[in-house]
Amino acid sequence: MTLKRMTFLQHLLTFMGLEGRLHLEWISSAEAQKFVATVTGFTETIRRLGPSPLRIAASRQADDATMSPMPQSGCLDLPKTDAVPETGVQIANG
Amino acid sequence: MSAMTPIQEQVHQWLEEERVDIFLAYRIVEGHPLPYAFTREHIEETGELVTGPARYSLEKFATHIASRYPDARIGMVARDCNQRALNVLRVWNQLKEGQVETVSVNCCPSDLRAHADCSYLERRPVGVVKQQLGQVPNQAVADVDAQPSAERFDRWMYEFQKCIKCYGCRNICPVCFCNECSLEHAELIGTGHLPPDIPIFHLVRAVHMAGRCIDCGLCEDACPAEIPLRLLYRKVNAIVKDLFEYETGSGDTLPPFSILGPKPTMSPTPLLAVAQE
Amino acid sequence: MEMKFVPSICSYCGTGCGVLFEVLDGELVGTLPMKTHPVNHGKLCIKGWNLHEHINSPLRLKNPLLKTFGRFTKVDWDKAMDVTADRLKAVIAAHGPDSVGVLVSAKMTNEENYLAQKFARAAIGTNNVDHCARL
Repeated sequence: MTLKRMTFLQHLLTFMGLEGRLHLEWISSAEAQKFVATVTGFTETIRRLGPSPLRIAASRQADDATMSPMPQSGCLDLPKTDAVPETGVQIANG
Repeated sequence: MSAMTPIQEQVHQWLEEERVDIFLAYRIVEGHPLPYAFTREHIEETGELVTGPARYSLEKFATHIASRYPDARIGMVARDCNQRALNVLRVWNQLKEGQVETVSVNCCPSDLRAHADCSYLERRPVGVVKQQLGQVPNQAVADVDAQPSAERFDRWMYEFQKCIKCYGCRNICPVCFCNECSLEHAELIGTGHLPPDIPIFHLVRAVHMAGRCIDCGLCEDACPAEIPLRLLYRKVNAIVKDLFEYETGSGDTLPPFSILGPKPTMSPTPLLAVAQE
Repeated sequence: MEMKFVPSICSYCGTGCGVLFEVLDGELVGTLPMKTHPVNHGKLCIKGWNLHEHINSPLRLKNPLLKTFGRFTKVDWDKAMDVTADRLKAVIAAHGPDSVGVLVSAKMTNEENYLAQKFARAAIGTNNVDHCARL
């Protein structure tokens, strides 16, 4: 079940553009060296991938109360006219 | 009772013969095609039965009836998406085997079934900005897969942050029936701000749609922020099909993630092969 | 077993979205957006989606309650009306009609809201009327 879910999730995260950040490994308590190797290896992988785009997006959102509707990494070139609900807007009571 | 259409005649006959207790279809009320429950007491109303053009989740109404009257025999007009939803609901024990009798009507195109001729459901064209970005309506999963990863990330974060957390996608979903929903779990998804926690809110829902979404597109129709949910859930189902060879909506077995039910399904063979690489 | 679908208009704000109430055996069990409604085109906000919830809420007030010595006691309608009328008259006599305000609710019908504002303007004589859906 874990294997199914994790494999599925890896594919879903890839579709989201967050590939390589999820890893599953079975390590017994007797396999200390495997544990070390896995953790070291995965830490290296994550370091190579750099900070999470989610973290960057979150800080961007915090910096700018009216979070830009424009995706920032230059792939999409959206003018600001596309109507986007402002962040932090409370729905009017009624 | 003159000049009834074949479908009207059939429904009339079914009600008369007590083959069904209630029949869910549509009727024009105040100029709007609205869902309508036809019964034996008002059998003359079957002359006003229409099969479209609006599309509501009749099977969801059927589950509401079934939860109150477990032995009720329910009839309904069914497009292909309704039929798939009924299959899923039956597998999940929301409806009993054979409880719902359907009259098939024509339907809209879907990745899960090609047959289609419902012109009402042709997609509205997308806006100018999206056209410039090449985002066509009913974008194919393969086209999105082909984009660079960073572009996909930006696209989805942009789509998700439009969310106003109306829960419309969940509320309208024919195969969403849980009494307690993960999307309302404060420890999984933070509360009190808009947009909701992205992408967690949408990914939690996407994960729950795996092996369950019947690609009816009602969620996308109901989304006030025009988030391409159908595309997301199509991808989710494509993953399920690739990994587990599970055909969502066929209604044979429970989906691969299910740990409930009498028979645990889906041998892990294809996955073990992946893991050992 | 009786199932009805009743088209209506959302009362929560002035937009006027078309909603469809799902009524099973005379009990309101769900709200749906009306697909063909020209205002909302089959979409709703979270409030509209939950339009039916307060109707069957166990927290609903079903009797008039009179607050005496800091405690609420159940009274009948005649008593409640008498007390309200007497107190309102006393307040108006002492401080004028503009000392009274009438607050109405989105959880009542449009007609009840109309009557309430009519009551404020014609019977009490004040324009102090407000509604939570005044956008």
